[in-house]
Amino acid sequence: MRRPSTSRTADPAVAAPAARRRDPLAEIEAPARRAQAQAEMLAVLGGLIWPLQAALVAWAISGWLHHAPLAHTLWAGGGFALLGILRAGLDDLGGALLFRAADAVLAEQRARLVARESLRPPGGTGPSSAELGAIVAQKLPLLVPHLTRYRPARLRVMVLPLIFIALTAWISWAAALVLIVAGPLIPIFMALIGMAAKEASARQMAEIGDMSALLMDRLSALVDIRLLDATERSAADFAARAEGLRARTMAVLRIAFLSSTVLELFSALGVAMVAVYVGFTLLHQLHFGAWGGLTAGEGIFLLMLAPEYFQPLRDLAAAWHDKAAAEAVAEELAALPDEAAPVLGQGGPATPLPGALQLTLRGASVRRGGRLVTLPAFDLAPGEALALTGPSGAGKSTTLAAIAGLARIEAGGCLEVSGQPLTDANADAWRARLAWVGQAPHFLDRPLARNLDLRDTGADPAPALAAARAEDVVAALPDGLQARLGETGGGISGGEARRLMLARALMAAPDLLLADEPTADLDAETAEAVIAGLLTLKARGAALIVATHDPRLIAAMDRAVALEAPQ
Amino acid sequence: MRQLLRIFRLIWSAAPGAMARGALLSVAVLLSGAALLGLSGWFITATGAAGLAAAGFTFNVFGPSAGVRAFALGRTAARYGERLLTHDATLRALARMRIDLMRRESRAPLDRLLRLRGATALNRMTADVDALDGVALRLVLPLAAGLITHLVAFAALSWLVDETVALWVTLGYLLGGALVLSGVARAGFGPSIRAERGAQALRRAVIDMGRARTDLIVFGRMEAQRDTVLAADADTRAALFALDRAERRSGLALSAIAALIAGGALMIGGALVARAEIAPAAAALGFFTALALAETLFGLRRGMAELGRMRDAAGRVLDGPGPAPTVATKEATAPTAPVVLAVGDLSYRREGAARAVLRGLTFEVAPGETLAVAGPSGVGKSTLLFLCAGLMRPESGSITLAGRALAEWNEPALRARLTLVPQRAALVAGTIRENLALATGALDDAAAWAALQAVALDAVVAARGGLEARLDEGGAGLSGGETRRLVLARALLRRPEVLLLDEPTEGLDPETAAVVLRGLRAALPRAAILAASHRAAELAWADRVITLG
Repeated sequence: MRRPSTSRTADPAVAAPAARRRDPLAEIEAPARRAQAQAEMLAVLGGLIWPLQAALVAWAISGWLHHAPLAHTLWAGGGFALLGILRAGLDDLGGALLFRAADAVLAEQRARLVARESLRPPGGTGPSSAELGAIVAQKLPLLVPHLTRYRPARLRVMVLPLIFIALTAWISWAAALVLIVAGPLIPIFMALIGMAAKEASARQMAEIGDMSALLMDRLSALVDIRLLDATERSAADFAARAEGLRARTMAVLRIAFLSSTVLELFSALGVAMVAVYVGFTLLHQLHFGAWGGLTAGEGIFLLMLAPEYFQPLRDLAAAWHDKAAAEAVAEELAALPDEAAPVLGQGGPATPLPGALQLTLRGASVRRGGRLVTLPAFDLAPGEALALTGPSGAGKSTTLAAIAGLARIEAGGCLEVSGQPLTDANADAWRARLAWVGQAPHFLDRPLARNLDLRDTGADPAPALAAARAEDVVAALPDGLQARLGETGGGISGGEARRLMLARALMAAPDLLLADEPTADLDAETAEAVIAGLLTLKARGAALIVATHDPRLIAAMDRAVALEAPQ
Repeated sequence: MRQLLRIFRLIWSAAPGAMARGALLSVAVLLSGAALLGLSGWFITATGAAGLAAAGFTFNVFGPSAGVRAFALGRTAARYGERLLTHDATLRALARMRIDLMRRESRAPLDRLLRLRGATALNRMTADVDALDGVALRLVLPLAAGLITHLVAFAALSWLVDETVALWVTLGYLLGGALVLSGVARAGFGPSIRAERGAQALRRAVIDMGRARTDLIVFGRMEAQRDTVLAADADTRAALFALDRAERRSGLALSAIAALIAGGALMIGGALVARAEIAPAAAALGFFTALALAETLFGLRRGMAELGRMRDAAGRVLDGPGPAPTVATKEATAPTAPVVLAVGDLSYRREGAARAVLRGLTFEVAPGETLAVAGPSGVGKSTLLFLCAGLMRPESGSITLAGRALAEWNEPALRARLTLVPQRAALVAGTIRENLALATGALDDAAAWAALQAVALDAVVAARGGLEARLDEGGAGLSGGETRRLVLARALLRRPEVLLLDEPTEGLDPETAAVVLRGLRAALPRAAILAASHRAAELAWADRVITLG
């Protein structure tokens, strides 16, 4: 078997820096560019309506001073309202475009992550399931505000303030000067604050993930914590985490508040200075800055332009933190370990691989972390029962994983199933003939019946439950087959969970059953029952491979292959 | 809504002083914003009028211009202070809520503990609590501040401008705001609940996918699980889309209302000026104040849209397990009688079950004695141990420790004397030291190594890099037998006088099992040990064996 020719680089140390040199956020948002460009146009268009509204108000108020007829004001008031509604409409349109594009980006990123993480081989490195849950459900959505707010805000900043300065300068160069001086100071502050914001956001992200992982872990061990009287110690650990999250969040917020305060300060001072300058000029106490004096109408126009000149800058500042958060998420995504080759195939249903069940394993080895695990060499005939024995760490579980196509064997090794090498193309079909009993039972968040009938065949679980001697387990559950068990089988004992897992495997009516320590956790009587269940399956013609060091189970198999301890 | 009020009270009570100051400042922010723009408009129009009348030298410019600067600076400072105070107070309250939930969860009855789906509880402690951050910040505080601002603005406008203008502006914003905000609350109610529940379902599905990865792949169900995940994702995003639309529509409506009210204020002001009832500057004051007051509504949009999500989350957070049922009633003066575990005529029946699991069981375990309970799986051995550990209540009969009924011990005193290693004892992610430290607050290296040596795990741990070696999620990284021995070592560190063991050497080969059992006894020579067991090595190790079933 060969590794598939994917773009993955064999050596992660070589691949990682190259991945990091690219801007991960830019790559993520590339598909949203088009919608962003359109929304940016709409936003600029909306921004340009304001000067018209301002002109109408200026015209009306100047009319009051010159005793113009009332109709004058009515036109201006009506026009102001209508233009305002138009502007709101354009904003709405742009917002819809952006949201749709951001939504598509979110969907794509989730789908990609789920596709990759679902096929991560056992023993491969990657985020814990709780961390993954936090990334998918909690962190990826942080991309959306960035996509919907930051980009359009950036274009508005590049266009609108220039236009407003030009309009202001047309009436008064002094007022324009006030804006010019106050405006560009803002980006300098923003750049400084932005750097701090990104770092703070990254720390906050890390804290969110850590807290989820810690909580999930502690929640799974609540009974132990109670028995060890560690409730308070554990609560103290958690309190430190929760307090850490608060401190980190507050650090992010403090920077956000500080930057918006700086902006607001400049904006408020800018407006105040324009107002005071205009007032003094109108009173003829200042005689510079306007091209031949100001009228009250022009003064009102300037006053109304000033806050809107700062508005795009303030929007950008508000979005800056969305950007910082999104960058932190993007970098976390880019930093997720990607080096482990996925399992073979897609993990989907398939037509069972044709031909007699046969297995040949020769000269194969699997890379686990930095270690090369050598797999035993053996052939398995149809209906044969084989025990893999040997000390812990010798590679029993890894061998089972390789046979199930969950671990890729190194080039040069041979793993043939039903006469053909096991590849990505036939792995699902091969697994359609298998069943698996693992070491750690996990019950999915669905009724027991559907946990047993994992392949959704709709078959009656009664015979399989009987063969695994698990009927009384089900009978004792409050809702029987409709019960929802805790993730690791809470509510039943370990032996009961194991019998249910065996029933599940029997229900699948496999041609080959792979079982990892199937009699651990069972008393002698039930262990005998499980062995009998396995032999029932064998009697139906199925082959068995069990990793075990239970002598009763080894004796019940046709033969044993001993693995050697690692050097 | 009562639940949201309860949550608000919780949040407020975490730092009432900071919250009250923050609330005052948020009113100051809104008022100074309106005053800044209103005063500026008044100032320019008034100076314009004075300039035209050539009355410039009698006009007092310093009062208004100082006012403009004061409002500008005051608003900025008030905004910063308000945000810091209210956010910090809210986050403190949320952290407290999380810790409280964790405590309540860990003291829940055993049945609930065993059936707890970690992912669900995790959602409650993270996502649901997070959802409540807006109750004060985006709902109650801005609502109150907005109302106060409008009342003050009404008084100011009627005094400085005209009652008609004041009435138009205040009624316009109050009615229009009520209409639009109640609209967005209604339109967003369902979608915001669906979005939050969808996100939680998404997280549960992802966690299932990660934890059952191998099973799902081998049984060809990973594709289906991916579809489940992606369906939850699609549901969530559809709800978010509806929510975004509701929010955008309300933004559109609020902008339109603001434009109409400002335009209307301009018209009314113009009409009054034309009739010479008010000065142009007063009319300008009315228009600019009306324009600035729009700010009071926009801040409320998000909070209103998320009303459903907050109420739903509040329900789940408040609905968690109640405050811990205390095991203890009497404060224990430690009994001096020898620590004997005595069980008398004990019966137990699962809730709703017809047949009793245990019937009329009587025995005693003395210090230094090892009693094994044998019997087939499902006969009630584990139940007996849970009963003896005080995690379940017997139906009838008595269990006494050192002559005192179990129910009369308080939790810490009971746990200090008695430890149970359940059949499926769990480890946590972290170092081996952290796992051992769960047993005792102060863990010294010598004690840790002694405990590891007692269960023949010292060599394994040393080979893995010592006490600082890290274990993954749920303690993954150790083999089944190593996990078993580590939880036994952890129990030894409690130095219990009564040790309850459920299948202590499961997963160990017979030689190791014998070594571990000898080590356990040697480490606790005076402890009363009760073991549920079926293995020959364990039965041979016990001084006495009773058989159930």
